[in-house]
Amino acid sequence: MDYKLEDLKEWDEKIVELAKKHNLDWFELDYEVVDYHEMIGAMVHHGMPSMYSHWSFGKSFEQTMNRYNLGAEGLPYELIINSNPSLAYLMRENPLYLQILIMAHCVGHSDFFKNNRMFRNTRPESVIQRLRSAKKRIQKYVEDPHVGIDAVEKTLDACQALQFQTTKYGQVRRPHSEIKAEYIELINNDKDGKYKNFNIDMMPLDPDYDLLGFIEENARIPEWKRDIIHVCREEGQYFWPQIQTKIMNEGWASMTHYELCHELDLPGELHLPIVKMHNAVVRPHIGSINPYHLGFYLFQKIKERHGIEECFLAREVCYDVSFLRQYLTEEDCIDLNLFSYSNKKKLGITVDDVSDEIGWKQVKEDLISNVAGGSIPVVFVDEIKRDRMLVVRHEHDGRDLEIKHANEVVEHIKNLWDGQVKFYTMLEEEPWEID
Amino acid sequence: MSIFREHKTVADRTASDRRRHKQKIEKAIREGIHHIVADESIISKDGKQKYRIPVRGIKEYRFVYGNNGKQVGSAPGRDVKRDQKIGDPPQQGQGQPNKAGGEKGEEYYDVEITHEELAEYLFAELKLPELQRRQLKNIESEKLKRKGYRPQGIIPRLDRKKSAVARIKRMKAAGFDPEKAEDGETFSFHEDDLKYRHYKMKKKPCTNAVIFFVMDVSGSMSQEKKFLARSFFFLLYQFLRLKYETIDIIFISHDTEAKEVEEKEFFTKASMGGTKASSAISMANDIIEKRYHPSSWNIYLFQCSDGDNFLEDNEKLVQEVQKIMSVSQLYGYCEIEPETSWMSEPGRLYGLLRPLQGNVLKEVRIQKREDVWPAFMSLMGGSIEE
Repeated sequence: MDYKLEDLKEWDEKIVELAKKHNLDWFELDYEVVDYHEMIGAMVHHGMPSMYSHWSFGKSFEQTMNRYNLGAEGLPYELIINSNPSLAYLMRENPLYLQILIMAHCVGHSDFFKNNRMFRNTRPESVIQRLRSAKKRIQKYVEDPHVGIDAVEKTLDACQALQFQTTKYGQVRRPHSEIKAEYIELINNDKDGKYKNFNIDMMPLDPDYDLLGFIEENARIPEWKRDIIHVCREEGQYFWPQIQTKIMNEGWASMTHYELCHELDLPGELHLPIVKMHNAVVRPHIGSINPYHLGFYLFQKIKERHGIEECFLAREVCYDVSFLRQYLTEEDCIDLNLFSYSNKKKLGITVDDVSDEIGWKQVKEDLISNVAGGSIPVVFVDEIKRDRMLVVRHEHDGRDLEIKHANEVVEHIKNLWDGQVKFYTMLEEEPWEID
Repeated sequence: MSIFREHKTVADRTASDRRRHKQKIEKAIREGIHHIVADESIISKDGKQKYRIPVRGIKEYRFVYGNNGKQVGSAPGRDVKRDQKIGDPPQQGQGQPNKAGGEKGEEYYDVEITHEELAEYLFAELKLPELQRRQLKNIESEKLKRKGYRPQGIIPRLDRKKSAVARIKRMKAAGFDPEKAEDGETFSFHEDDLKYRHYKMKKKPCTNAVIFFVMDVSGSMSQEKKFLARSFFFLLYQFLRLKYETIDIIFISHDTEAKEVEEKEFFTKASMGGTKASSAISMANDIIEKRYHPSSWNIYLFQCSDGDNFLEDNEKLVQEVQKIMSVSQLYGYCEIEPETSWMSEPGRLYGLLRPLQGNVLKEVRIQKREDVWPAFMSLMGGSIEE
C-alpha cells in the first residue's frame, strides 16, 4: 500500500472543493476501505451492506473471484450505491492514483443519483435500512418450520427471474378500483359506442406491465411469499433507473473525474497513470458498446456544441434513450464507427448497417432499441380468467424470445401465482404459447 | 469532506450463499453423472484418469431475447461493409446435447473430477449401514504370519543367521578365540544356539473381488435398455472398487449361449437370438472354479436382463443360480422392464428368482434413468440423506 488513510482524506478534500466549484451537487460520500475479498462480496451484493441470503450471490461471488484470479477481469475499480449518504468502496490494494481517480468518479455518480429525475422515487435515504430489515424478515421465514429454506429459495429464484418485470420509474400502483371507476365514467359518457362491448369485470382492465406488482397484489398466497415478492419488486424498481441511465451515468462520472483530475494539480507520478487509466476506461470496445466510452464522448460533444449548461440539463432530465435520441448526431455515429449486426440463421453474423450518410439513422435506432434496458423483454398481465388462470403476454417487437428461457421463467411465474399460467409470444412469426 | 471508514472484517458476507451454491453444484454433479456413464468406459485405463462432468442447470433464467435481434457495436475503422460476415451462424439442433456451449445461454460447469472424487460424489451421502455389516463382510483367508523365534522347531524353519549369532555370543562369553585355537580345536554349535522361526496362523481379510457382469444381449434388449444396464453396472463397479484392493471384472453376454467378452463388445453387440440365461450363470460358475477360488476371492454377480427367458431353461437356471449363490457375497438381479409388459409376471425372471431372495440374492427393477440410483441403493441397502 503506497498511501495512508490520511492521504485519501487529503485528496478527497481537494476533490470536494473542486467539485463544488464545478457546481456539482451530490450526497455526502461514505467511503469504506475494504480488502479485495470484501470488495467482491460487496460487488455481488450490488454494493448493499446488507443483503438477504440467496445462493445466486454465492455463485456470482465464485464467478467473479475466478475471473479475477485468472486475470480476465481487471480490478474492481469503483463501486458506489445510490444511497444518502452514498456508500462507496475503495479497495485497499489499489494504488493511490487509482483511489484519487475513483473518488473523483464517485462524486460524479453521486451527483447523478441525486439529480437525475429517473431516480426520484428510489428513496436513497432509506434503501440500506429497507434491505436490512428485508434480510431479517426473510431469514425469519427460512427459520420458520412452516416455511423453510427450500420454499423461500424457490420463491426468491422466481422473484429474481422476474425482478425487472415491474415498473421502471417506481410509480405507486394505482388501485384497481380507481381504474375501474374511470372506465365506468367513460362507459356512462359513451356517446359513439366505443365502449359498447367493454367488459368492466376484466382483471386487470388495462394491460399491467408491473407483473410482480400484479402478483403481489392479487395472488392468493401466504403473506411471507407476498412479502418476498414485495422485497424483490422494490429491489427491481430501485435498480431500474440505473439500467436506464447506464451510458449517461458512466459518461457523467467519467467526465467528472476527467475534469477534476485535470485541475487537481497532481504531481506527475500520480497524473500520468491517471491519464493512462482514464484512456483505458473510456476506450471503445470493438463489436460492442462501452457505456463509459459512449457516455463520455457524448457529454464532451454536448459541452463543445451547446456548452456545459446543456450537460447539466441533460444529466437532470434525460435517460439513455432520450439522451441518444437528442444528442447523437450523424457526425458522431460516423466518428464512432458504429455499425449494427445480427445473427442470421443461414448466413451467420452479418453487418446490417454501417454509419454512413444513408445508414447512420438506422444504426442509431438499433442502438437506442438496445440501451436503457431495451434488451429486457417487455411482458404484461393480460387477464385473470375465470378459473384463476393468469394470462401473460410478451410484447413482441420483432425480436423473438429465447424459448428455453421463457419456459423456465413461466415455471417461476407458476410458482408465485395460485393458479394456471398461460404465456403468449411470437416465434418465427408464428404465435407461440407456453403453459 | 467525505466520510472514511476502514472496513472491519466481521464476517464473510457471502459464505453461506457460497455454501448453498456449492450444494447445488454437487447435487447437479450427482444428477449429471449419468452423462459420464454414457461416455466413459466402466474401467478406466489408468488410475489417474479424470472424468469431465458437464454440470448444467444452476442457471438463473430470465426473459431474454434469442438470436434474431440486432446489436450495435463500434468498429475498429471505416472498413466495415454492409452484409459483411463477421461471425458464424448460430448452432441450432446440432451436435451432442450435452456438449458445452451448444446453446445460447447454457451455462456449463465442466467439472473435472478424479476417480476418488467421483466415488465420493456418488456415495458420500449414501448411508450404507447394512452394507458394512453384511454385504461386504470380506471372506477371510488364513495365512501364516511370522511371530518371533523359538528354541525348538523343524529344520526348514531354522534361522541360520540367528543361530550363528547365538553361537558367537556363547563363544565370546567362553573366551574362546579361533585365531589362537590349537589345531583341530573348534567351537561347535550347541543345541541351545539353534533358533527356529515361529509362525502363527492368522486370519486375514481377503481384499480381492471378482465381479461378474452378466447381460442378456438377445434381440429384445434395446440400446436404451443396455444404456440403463451400463449406468447400473457403472455405479456398482465404482462402489465396489472403493472396498477392494484388487478387482477383476468379467463380462459375460449371452443369448442362448454365453460368451466372455470385452467391455466394449459387452455394451454394443447385439444378437438376434432368444434367451437362455442359465448359459451365462453356468459359465460364471465354470470361471469361478477355474480362476477364482471362493476362499480367496469375494464374488459378486450382477445380471441385467429384460426378464425374458426360454421356459425350458428356467429349471436349469435356478440350479445354476443356487450354485453360484452358495459362494457369492451378492447376486444382484436387475430387470430392465420393457415399456409395456405383455408377458405375465411369473414368466419373467424377476418372478422366477423371487423365491431365492434373501441375504445373497437381491432383485431390483429399472425402467428409466431415474430408477438407476434407487435400484443401486436398494441393492446395497443404503439410503440417501437429504
